Amino acid sequence: MQENKKKQVLLVGNPNVGKSTVFNALCNKKQKTGNYAGVTVASHSGHYRYRNEEVEVVDLPGSYSLYPSSEDEAIFSKFLLDHQKDYAGVIYILEALSLKRGLLLFQQIQDLGIPMILVINQIDQAERRGITIDFQKFSESLGIKIIKTNAKEQMGIDEIKEAVLANNFVKTDKASFQTPDEHKDFIQKIAAHKGLDNEYKAWMSLSLGTDSVRTGALARQVNEPDSKSLVPKRLQVQETVRRYQNVDKILSDVITKKPQFKELLTEKLDKVLVHKFWGYVVFMMILLLIFQSVFFLAEYPMNWIDDAFAWLSAFTGEHLPEGPLNSLISDGIIPGLGGIIIFAPQIGILLYFLYLLEDSGYMARVVFLMDRILRPFGLNGKSIVPLVSGTACAIPAVISTRNIENLKERLLTILVTPFMTCSARLPVYSIIIGLIISDKTFLGVQYKALVLMGMYLLGFFVALLSAAILNKFIKSKGKTYLVMDLPTYKKPLFGYDLKMVLGKVWDFITGAGKIIFIVSIIIWFLSYFGPKQKPDQWVATNVELDHSYLAKIGKGIEPVIAPLGYDWKMGVGILTSFVAREVFVGTMSTLYSLDDDAPEMKVIDKMRHDVKPNGEKVFNFATGVSVLLFYAFAMQCISTLAVVYRETKSWKWTAFQVAMMTGLAYFVSMFAYQILK
Amino acid sequence: MKEKNLHKLSAFPKNKLGKISGYDNEHLKMPNKIIEMGLLPETSFRILYQAPFNGPMYVEFGEEKSRIALREEEGDFIIVEELI
Repeated sequence: MQENKKKQVLLVGNPNVGKSTVFNALCNKKQKTGNYAGVTVASHSGHYRYRNEEVEVVDLPGSYSLYPSSEDEAIFSKFLLDHQKDYAGVIYILEALSLKRGLLLFQQIQDLGIPMILVINQIDQAERRGITIDFQKFSESLGIKIIKTNAKEQMGIDEIKEAVLANNFVKTDKASFQTPDEHKDFIQKIAAHKGLDNEYKAWMSLSLGTDSVRTGALARQVNEPDSKSLVPKRLQVQETVRRYQNVDKILSDVITKKPQFKELLTEKLDKVLVHKFWGYVVFMMILLLIFQSVFFLAEYPMNWIDDAFAWLSAFTGEHLPEGPLNSLISDGIIPGLGGIIIFAPQIGILLYFLYLLEDSGYMARVVFLMDRILRPFGLNGKSIVPLVSGTACAIPAVISTRNIENLKERLLTILVTPFMTCSARLPVYSIIIGLIISDKTFLGVQYKALVLMGMYLLGFFVALLSAAILNKFIKSKGKTYLVMDLPTYKKPLFGYDLKMVLGKVWDFITGAGKIIFIVSIIIWFLSYFGPKQKPDQWVATNVELDHSYLAKIGKGIEPVIAPLGYDWKMGVGILTSFVAREVFVGTMSTLYSLDDDAPEMKVIDKMRHDVKPNGEKVFNFATGVSVLLFYAFAMQCISTLAVVYRETKSWKWTAFQVAMMTGLAYFVSMFAYQILK
Repeated sequence: MKEKNLHKLSAFPKNKLGKISGYDNEHLKMPNKIIEMGLLPETSFRILYQAPFNGPMYVEFGEEKSRIALREEEGDFIIVEELI
């Protein structure tokens, strides 16, 4: 068994059938499952080792058919059809509660001659709902062995591994879809012309097209006179209808159902959750609950983290040798890191709620409720998922637009999602709000909390408003529609989701930590050295901050940022946060800790007392508002840009987004500062 | 066509049991997904809910009681009849 090549298998199935749960049970890898079509947005892969065999499992996005209608389905079809030679076979997951729908895609793949292992998941649920499946008969009529699993309880997982090890992938010879007689001649000619061994492949070369141009060209190649009736879409419909007839025949022999079967939980819940009035009330309550928890539940761990970093900073300050390095570490890097890590609890709580909502099946209901409301803005009901997850982070949010079928709606959603207040803005908002808003309360609510909430609302409204404006200018490509499965509610995997969230939070801390660490060091270097002051010097070392290279750079950009009310230090902060917004905090901590005028003062107090040459406070109300608005609107996140480019495949739209967001930020901030100063 | 009391799905009353009898003549413009998800002729269904201001319809259909959300515009393509 000295084989170096890994065995690759593909996990395939409809959305919401527990594919990702099987994937996790197989690979034990950190990967998120969800009960909302579109969670498994990219093709993830994981590995496992079973009896000395190394297996790579590729989890493809769920799909209903080989004919794609959205980007995630296109990814799926392309992968399956293009990589045919590389993989050992497909593990196909059927959900016991929706066998009919699942068998459509199953038969398509089977007819392509791709070897498969069939897994039926969530048998227990079907039994609970009074459905009995005759597996013996089922297996015979499909011509394939069936593995029964309950992936959430790890049942049947070893059987899958065993089947993969033994290469029990089955290829059936008899196609379940017979080419309709009227096309048989043409299809056989194509098969012969292209040297295809399989009639269905020839059929697909016709039906997979989106227009009839290719069909016409193919017809000419094989001298087929009549190709007018061969509109690809008509072929697809013909195929689907025939397959379903076939599936109905199979299932009627296999399934027995108790007469009074009622799906109690989902039916009961939906009476309220999709109600014309109460549905929206519940959604608002859930959002309120989430944000309430984000700000109040998170307060305790945030205080612990704050204390821990304050202690660490004091400890290193005392025990490291005196000098600039001491101040860099104890006043720059440690508070900078602390300034980010302190937001981990909030990000974690937000993500955890979002995961639970997706997992339970509730998100599909939110799409149902929001579709009509979002349509006037040129968005789709499905846009609500990216918009809500954008309050955690725009990167997964942009990726999750892939299940929006209409290209224009998808593009609009991608363009406006980064306006949503992501967690990286939180550290910046907290510092600035702390500096410019008083501790007073209004009707028992802190002004600071109100302003912060206002910033969240502002992000949401600007996202909608810019979508409405862009909607007028972007041409529509194709018809917009909403045809979406509403899955049964499932109990979320609380423990499992928690594990996923902790993983994500850790990624955030290490990712942001690395950037802040590097930026802090660069800033320290640029501020420690300056242009030579004596002719025999190469560079000047240990200069006053005002004479450093950093000040030179900062003062270089001052004319651009002066109308917004910023001094050169804030300019440097804004410049560095084009890498990622949260870097602002680290940069400010480093910059202010380098100012040795009052070493015993906390960074935040130094910021509070810093004055411009004209005696005006650097962080007064006008500049504070200006900074808040700048961070609310500007596109300052390299990672989001990279993802937007990958998803739109267009430099034009990526550049447009940067220009639109940053331009808006610049002018709104300038306007606010000029009025308020 | 009118003798069998045919409706468009979008005009079908809520909470009544119905059966899909076919598609509109314009059905080539209909998203394939409708058929792929199993809204096929002879399938029984019930419109359980609709979001406000003529928003999407919540349709329960078929033996397996699948649920699907679709807009009225999509419902226009689907011709249905009442089952008593």
